[in-house]
Amino acid sequence: MPDQTGTGTFLRFAVRRDRVRLPIWVAAGAALMAVQSSSNQEFYRTPESLAAYRASAGSNAASIAFSGPPVGLDTVAGTIAFEISSPLVLLTVLMAMFTTARHTRADEEAGRTELLRSAQLGRHAPLLAATALSAAASALLGLAIAAAATLSGLPAGGSLLLGAATASVGWVFTGITAVCAQLTGVTRGVYGLVGGLLGLSFVVRAVGDITGSGLSWASPIGWAQATHPWSEDRWWPLLLPLAVTPLLLLGAARLLDSRDSGSGLLQPRPGAEAAPPSLAGPLGLAWRLQRSTLLAWGLGVTLLGFVYGGLAESVKTLLGDNPDAQVFFRGDPTADLVDSYLGVTLRITALMVAAYGVSATCRTRSEESAGRAEPVLAAAVSRSGWFGSHLLVALAGATGLLLSDGLATGASRAMASGDATDVLRLTGAAVSYAPAVWVLAGLAGALIGAAPSAAVPAAWLAFGAVLVITLFAEGFDWPAWVTDLSPLSRTPTAPAESWAAEPLLVLLVVAAGLLTLGLATFRRRDLATG
Amino acid sequence: MSSVISVSGLVKTFGRTRALDGLDLDVRAGEVHGFLGPNGSGKSTTIRVLLGLLRKDAGTVRLLGGDPWRDAVLLHRRLAYVPGDVTLWPTISGGEVIDLLGRLRGGMDPRRRAELLERFDLDPRKKARTYSKGNRQKVALVAALASDAELLVLDEPTSGLDPIMEATFQSCISDVRADGRTVLLSSHILAEAEALCDRVSIIRHGRTVQSGTLGELRRLTRTSITAETVHPATGLDTLPGVHGLRATDHRVTFDVDGDHLEGALRHLTDAGLRSLSSAPPTLEELFLRQYGDELAAAGDTGIGS
Ligand SMILES: Nc1ncnc2c1ncn2[C@@H]1O[C@H](COP(=O)(O)OP(=O)(O)OP(=O)(O)O)[C@@H](O)[C@H]1O
Ligand SMILES: [Mg+2]
Repeated sequence: MPDQTGTGTFLRFAVRRDRVRLPIWVAAGAALMAVQSSSNQEFYRTPESLAAYRASAGSNAASIAFSGPPVGLDTVAGTIAFEISSPLVLLTVLMAMFTTARHTRADEEAGRTELLRSAQLGRHAPLLAATALSAAASALLGLAIAAAATLSGLPAGGSLLLGAATASVGWVFTGITAVCAQLTGVTRGVYGLVGGLLGLSFVVRAVGDITGSGLSWASPIGWAQATHPWSEDRWWPLLLPLAVTPLLLLGAARLLDSRDSGSGLLQPRPGAEAAPPSLAGPLGLAWRLQRSTLLAWGLGVTLLGFVYGGLAESVKTLLGDNPDAQVFFRGDPTADLVDSYLGVTLRITALMVAAYGVSATCRTRSEESAGRAEPVLAAAVSRSGWFGSHLLVALAGATGLLLSDGLATGASRAMASGDATDVLRLTGAAVSYAPAVWVLAGLAGALIGAAPSAAVPAAWLAFGAVLVITLFAEGFDWPAWVTDLSPLSRTPTAPAESWAAEPLLVLLVVAAGLLTLGLATFRRRDLATG
Repeated sequence: MSSVISVSGLVKTFGRTRALDGLDLDVRAGEVHGFLGPNGSGKSTTIRVLLGLLRKDAGTVRLLGGDPWRDAVLLHRRLAYVPGDVTLWPTISGGEVIDLLGRLRGGMDPRRRAELLERFDLDPRKKARTYSKGNRQKVALVAALASDAELLVLDEPTSGLDPIMEATFQSCISDVRADGRTVLLSSHILAEAEALCDRVSIIRHGRTVQSGTLGELRRLTRTSITAETVHPATGLDTLPGVHGLRATDHRVTFDVDGDHLEGALRHLTDAGLRSLSSAPPTLEELFLRQYGDELAAAGDTGIGS
């Protein structure tokens, strides 16, 4: 049987399975594009407002770190490209990762591939079909972006270029996911590897864009952003992803040939014959299950803290080039500009930590639905003991992440400023996000207790809303009550704003209420397996 | 004898599905009790209610003298459970899972653990992800059997085990019985229930349809008779309780209800009995008879008649 036999059949099957998911991703991309385009055209109608924006954003290290190179900001279209490319890239990469992994490693892990392989399916068929689907979906997402941009009144050429550039990152990450899916035998591990590489690509280009050192060319996100849609309109940087993607796919196929079905290339080491003393109660189990994820997050967050802290010094350099900027810099006007930058980076990292908190809390739900909670709760473990242990690990883990972010940011800032109190100041600022993060994790916990079957999507929806509010509410001038919906927006952006106890106490009370609700409802309901 | 499990009129609904519809179950101390029923009849649901994992809608449930929902933690120290679908944590080794479950339950006998690993031929160092289905099942079995729980609740514990391991399992259950411990064993494999169980309960559509010792159940059902007689045994078809009669000149085969066996035999003796063979119904036949109408309704007339 040739290696590719049945690719077509498998592809049709995969399309059927994803017929709801993929259109949602594509529609989300088009919607993001349309909203950004229309609101920027509204905001920067006048040359003055555009100049003001150029002065502030173009020299703000934080916005460069999160958006991209500040090119073409003299036109409205340029500001749109600057602001929307990162969110679009993130969306596309997530779609490519989930699509590719679901039809390769996740299927294989669940044993579905084995079933299909026995029925006239070539060895390479699932990989081929999954990557083809993911690449096509990325292309479709790119086209949807281009269409939305054109329809909102932007030049068609640049719109198509932005769409193509976004799709190209999807292609590269399709390849990266395909490779990672061969390396590890666990789907969770694939997501970890790809997520790590995505983070790295992002940080590398952030450093490159702020320092102007050309380092951005080492990142696939940098390649896409080097096209500068609507300003320089360069197509040639896309040659890079077009060359790299086939290489990655070939690599994945080669790796697939050199491993057994069902296993990864990285063989798991044999485990222990007997359990260590730490693996005893429900807390020991929750810690054991979550510790490696937490460790990976810890490394990522610490690295991010060091990078962002280290870049703080270049805020001054950027401002030196642009004396007008100070007037437009957002945040407390009396605050040091460096502090304002640090405040924004700490808040963004806190958002990521909140994502960790939500995902760690949702771990309880996957344990429950996979049937792994059942033997534990059939032993002498109470409902609250089991649920509470996982929540404790999630909350304490998230707090630890904030702490390491603060310490890392503080340490690298202190090295540049020579002021040792920066460590304490920034650590305090980072950790003050803990109550906000607990509120989000608590909300996930309450949902899991009260409405288990809808809980996980609902929790992520809530997180998505908080993400959008935290990032955009201020920029888009949304009413205060909308901003207040985000627990992160309620937390003072220390060190730029002065620290205040009251909002944090309110958040603490809300978090405690949600956690109590989660525990109480979980104790009273049926265990929902499957 | 005192009851370890006593359930009566148990009702459990999932939305519009009535999974348990007035189920009764009585398990006495020291017995191995077979819990039989076709797919979807409610065996696992009953067990989950007994373990306090699901909340009952109506009926009374007592387990080890307590309320399985309210006293869950206390009661669980005294029982061990093997789920129907054993899913384990992919990155934790089998040995660690066994220890963990033992500790969560409140202790296990390390000597017995080692002995069981040997008997089931299980490598405890493998990560759960790399175990086959049968080996995952063994992990859960060793964890349960190594405990000193007074009640074992086993939901289709031998699914996925090969015949040799199945035999090992049976001998382990015999040991458990010899220790005076109680076992609730849900199963599809009737031969296994016949070999192991003191009493069985058969359920269907969430209701108990029969319950008792195998002997009692057999009395309720038909025996197959094959006989040769000197004279043709005419008139058998007029006797009450005789079914499926097939007769050639001197040879008859038929099934007879337990309580009419005597009359049929007398009739055969009158015709000059030359040879007789009779087979008591197997559990298989009990089962088929119990569900025969269901199968017949489904268009499978070959079995019901
Ligand atoms: N969580 C649930 N939600 C909805 N329906 C359920 C749920 N759990 C069980 N059921 C339904 O209840 C009925 C009984 O299921 P149960 O799993 O108890 O059967 P079973 O006798 O264990 O079957 P099997 O022999 O296949 O294991 C089935 O119709 C099943 O579909
Ligand atoms: Mg079952």
